[in-house]
Amino acid sequence: MTFVATVLGADWQTLADAFGLGGIYALMAVGIGLVFGVLRLVNFAYGQLVMAGAYALAFAYERGWPVWVGIILCFAVVVTLAVAMDWVVFRPLRGHSPAVMLVATFAVAFLMQSIALLWFGPLGKIAASLSALNQPWTISGVDIRKISIVATAVAAGCLLALVLLLGRTRVGLHMRAAALDFQTARLLGVRANRVIGSAVLVSGLLAATVAVMLTVQSPLVTPDFALRDTILVLAGVVLGGMNRLISATLGGFAIGFASGFLGGALPTNQSQYLPSFLFAAVILVLLIRPRGLFARAGQQAVERV
Amino acid sequence: MRHAHAVLELLAPVVLVVAVALFGTLVSSSTQTYVITTLVNVSIVVALYVFIGNSGVLSFGHVSFVAVGAWTAGVLSMPVAEKPAIMPNLAAFLRDTTVGNVGSLAIAAGVGAAYALIVGLPLMRLSGLAAGIATFGVLEITHNVLRYWEKIGPGLNTFSAVPETTGLGQAAVGALIAVAVAFLYQRSRYGRMLRATREDAPAARAVGVSVYGQRLVAFTLSGALAGLAGGLYVHLLPVNAEVLYLDLTFITLAMLVIGGATSLWGAVVGAVVVSAVDSFLAEAENGVHLPGGTLDLPSGTRIVVVGTLMALVLIVRPAGLTAGREVPLPRAFLRGVLTKFSA
Amino acid sequence: MTTTPVLELDGLEVRHGAVHAVRGLSLTVDRGEIVGLIGPNGAGKSSTLHAIMGLVTSAAGDVRLHGRSLLGRRPEDVARAGVALVPEGRRIFAELTVEENLRLGLAGRGNGKGDGALRGAFELFPVVHEFRSRQAGALSGGQQQQLAIARALVADPQVLLLDEPSLGLAPRLVDVVFDALQEIRERGLAILLVEQRAQRTVALADRSHVLSNGRLRLTLGPEAAGDSETLVSAYFS
Ligand SMILES: Nc1ncnc2c1ncn2[C@@H]1O[C@H](COP(=O)(O)OP(=O)(O)OP(=O)(O)O)[C@@H](O)[C@H]1O
Ligand SMILES: [Mg+2]
Repeated sequence: MTFVATVLGADWQTLADAFGLGGIYALMAVGIGLVFGVLRLVNFAYGQLVMAGAYALAFAYERGWPVWVGIILCFAVVVTLAVAMDWVVFRPLRGHSPAVMLVATFAVAFLMQSIALLWFGPLGKIAASLSALNQPWTISGVDIRKISIVATAVAAGCLLALVLLLGRTRVGLHMRAAALDFQTARLLGVRANRVIGSAVLVSGLLAATVAVMLTVQSPLVTPDFALRDTILVLAGVVLGGMNRLISATLGGFAIGFASGFLGGALPTNQSQYLPSFLFAAVILVLLIRPRGLFARAGQQAVERV
Repeated sequence: MRHAHAVLELLAPVVLVVAVALFGTLVSSSTQTYVITTLVNVSIVVALYVFIGNSGVLSFGHVSFVAVGAWTAGVLSMPVAEKPAIMPNLAAFLRDTTVGNVGSLAIAAGVGAAYALIVGLPLMRLSGLAAGIATFGVLEITHNVLRYWEKIGPGLNTFSAVPETTGLGQAAVGALIAVAVAFLYQRSRYGRMLRATREDAPAARAVGVSVYGQRLVAFTLSGALAGLAGGLYVHLLPVNAEVLYLDLTFITLAMLVIGGATSLWGAVVGAVVVSAVDSFLAEAENGVHLPGGTLDLPSGTRIVVVGTLMALVLIVRPAGLTAGREVPLPRAFLRGVLTKFSA
Repeated sequence: MTTTPVLELDGLEVRHGAVHAVRGLSLTVDRGEIVGLIGPNGAGKSSTLHAIMGLVTSAAGDVRLHGRSLLGRRPEDVARAGVALVPEGRRIFAELTVEENLRLGLAGRGNGKGDGALRGAFELFPVVHEFRSRQAGALSGGQQQQLAIARALVADPQVLLLDEPSLGLAPRLVDVVFDALQEIRERGLAILLVEQRAQRTVALADRSHVLSNGRLRLTLGPEAAGDSETLVSAYFS
């Protein structure tokens, strides 16, 4: 108890950072989970969409373009790439086994990373147009970096919008149905391409949002930008439970929060084995609770993972 | 007839490996390094094939066994005098022993097998996506531990000062051992049972085959081969944890997929063809002189080319270049060629 | 004057790999008709419906809606063209509410608001209306079957295909389902009813085809319903 109190009391910034990172990871988890829902495809290359968005921001920053132009460019690039990925890779692979699709997106991830290396070189570019957000806000005597608050707020806003989209709109209903039982949904007239296209589009929008947030925290954009984050988020999504968007999102948030918090609170020589514990947990969950930690028991007969 | 096919199934990969090795004797010493690397890649990809090809289950974890093999052979064979500089925190019993080249390779294979067995005990119950993610977790954990645990190796340092004994001869022998083991295994009762589970797991279970047990056998065997390949690797060039991680996982999986994951021939062809392309491009990234002028490709080209190739194969020809079959019988092959020409 | 029937199968063949599930099946269903398709397990009844919906590709023959071929269309396009399937086992979305299940049925309509269609379905199945905000998984088997039929109807289809709607239902609920089919027929739909309950199907349908080993063996009118000998011999021929 005293431990928690000390940590909480001592460092609000760490806590706020953890929330911010948790929010960003939650958005990535949604982006991965949405596509998994309709395609049963774990998109290894999701992080490279974020990376592409970050390069777009860097491109705009280097030319001194206004912030909003950079953000628009980032969204345009990421969404275009996401849709192209759907057309060029996902569609031809539809109906293949999940393992084949996993290998394929693994290949695409490497491909995109190497294209970035070819194009922009290994040294990296700077995307610092929003770096003012790293300044602190002083709230009742406590300093907290703006980005932590902005990231939390943006994540909350995006998730709320997503809840409305899924719960209140026709295409949202179709997406939920397709995630539960695609064949029956199609038999009812739900158009497969449209549903998949929508999921890919939304996941692209989320990747672009994540790119904007992440470049604030780490403005140096290299070809492996967001690679570590994606691997962590994938672990979180599996831990939480892939079958349901809510559990996947919670898993993403939990991983982000944990790595933000522990990364800030623990000294390096104690946090260096964190990935090992994390992935050991992933393996354990796959073995003993394949539906994930946050899925309600007995909810779904079909095992998809 | 069946016998003839069996002989060919072994002979074709053996001939290919020997041909590559002989080619290596003809070229300059700088090119020779690429040829040796190709042969080591053959070992790794054949190790992958023994499990993935026969079981139909995906593994992202095999480079862990390569890494563990490399760590074992590297730590054991580095001269005692060199160890403190590179591995200052090494455990005492490792610090004070040195093992000869062949011994270090054998132990590497043993440690690879043992590690695969330990990992496989829980993991072989998984298949499909779950197996893919769990084995990826194994890769992450292994990488993470090797990077930071300095009692068992160099940590973030590079394995310099390991005797560079992996020449053409040892690399070729290593690849031939891998091919022979894979061949004997797939012809054995165990191999046939595992392939039956790949085609139709419920039916295989129904006739009493233990899917779990057979997968574990193959996983352990492929762990041994991967460990051996790792030993060869560390004796070839100074490696570190980053070398034995995602990139190698990607490129070796690409070799298997591109060649055709369900046959030994496909595995060997994939390893040779992709290594050849990869070596050429790696050379070109440093600038190569061709008859028409200098080809100077920016770094990163290799993976772009190999990645594109892999994605293309997966989309257009998921069974790989060899269509996943063992070597075509010469007569059928000839007939095919003849009809093509007469048409 | 001959008019084109609403639904027409013409020499339909379906293969699942080596299994020849449907062999040269021809039949028609017209407006306001119920056509029964009965036969033992594995006769090829479901395969026929799946071929109509485009879930499996037919090896030969044709499926026509108002004279236009449906072959090669995706399931969603067949549904949107006016063919609704009540699948075997109902395939209700258990985690969605009853109303959401019904709204999914609206996906099969080209466009337009479906509130009228929802009302029509509620009239036919008052239980569905009563429980509209519950989770569909919480409904009983009979209620789920009614929901499945209601969900197919809100798409306002011209053809209704049903795959063993009475399966696993108590006799009283079978009555409810069959009465509903009677009423749907009166609304002018063309109904193709796949069933195992041969006698009741023959009695309800305008004509019933007996399928066995993928081949059409016999066609019976409603008058044959009392003639159990003919039925039995048709099944075991
Ligand atoms: N996907 C499939 N793959 C292989 N064979 C299949 C497949 N679906 C059906 N069959 C076979 O095709 C034949 C016809 O099956 P179908 O499901 O159409 O029969 P049915 O008349 O609907 O039977 P039931 O009354 O049991 O529902 C059967 O022999 C069945 O085993
Ligand atoms: Mg059936």
